[in-house]
Amino acid sequence: MPFDFSEATVTSPVPDEDVTVASEKDELTLGEIINIKLVESGEKDNLMELVRDRLVESGRKDGMRVACREHVKKKGRKDVAVDELIRVITPKSRASVPDAVKQELLNRIQNFIGSAAP
Amino acid sequence: MSNAEDNKSSHDQLSSQVFLDLVDSVIADVASECHRVARLGLDRDLEVVEEELRLSVEARAKVADPSNNLETNTKYVVDIFGQSHPPVATEVFNCMNCGRQIVAGRFAPHLERCMGKGRKARAKATRSTTASQNRNSRRNTSDNNQLASGPPGFEENVRRT
Repeated sequence: MPFDFSEATVTSPVPDEDVTVASEKDELTLGEIINIKLVESGEKDNLMELVRDRLVESGRKDGMRVACREHVKKKGRKDVAVDELIRVITPKSRASVPDAVKQELLNRIQNFIGSAAP
Repeated sequence: MSNAEDNKSSHDQLSSQVFLDLVDSVIADVASECHRVARLGLDRDLEVVEEELRLSVEARAKVADPSNNLETNTKYVVDIFGQSHPPVATEVFNCMNCGRQIVAGRFAPHLERCMGKGRKARAKATRSTTASQNRNSRRNTSDNNQLASGPPGFEENVRRT
């Protein structure tokens, strides 16, 4: 995992109190707040695991791997860079996520935002 | 109420963003893993494909390169197994006509002499060879301008020498 959760400490007060104090919130966008809360509560981990499981079950992760190998074959394995691989496979990979999986994830996220948003 | 709608749409946007971030993380993982496998050469299939690609590119370059001395190239051409063959075939075998040991590269001229004018050089005479010899001798004595029914270049060459 790229993110070190031990560093995810938030010392600011609980959000309910901050609804009225606009000035402090100007520095953090809603997205950032949500992200922090996701991480803090461990929900981000859960969601990540869920996404991974669903993508593996549906074979989409294998599909991404195949797409990567194809690109590596074309470019030659010594010349390929991670950024390039990501750039090449992202559009199709995003499109290949099954609708059911997407809906399931979106629902969970929306529920979380609904309950956690200021 | 517009406020609630705004809220909802921004929430929708937000959830989409979070979702995309999650998917992007998985993509990055897969890409990173494949990159690692590729760079470390852990995938045998990739290596094989790469080797074949390299060889074919080399072969094409060799063929297309105009600076190559074409004479030496055609004489010492390397085939797909990497073997090079000498300009004159060196294998030795027995001539089926006279039974002598002949170098393969010199077989054609030998056969000219062996089957053409060298009637006396024959050690073994088969019926078909004798018949063709008789045909040859009959033709030789007849009109020289007549085109022979056998392989024309062959006969004419014999007559010329």
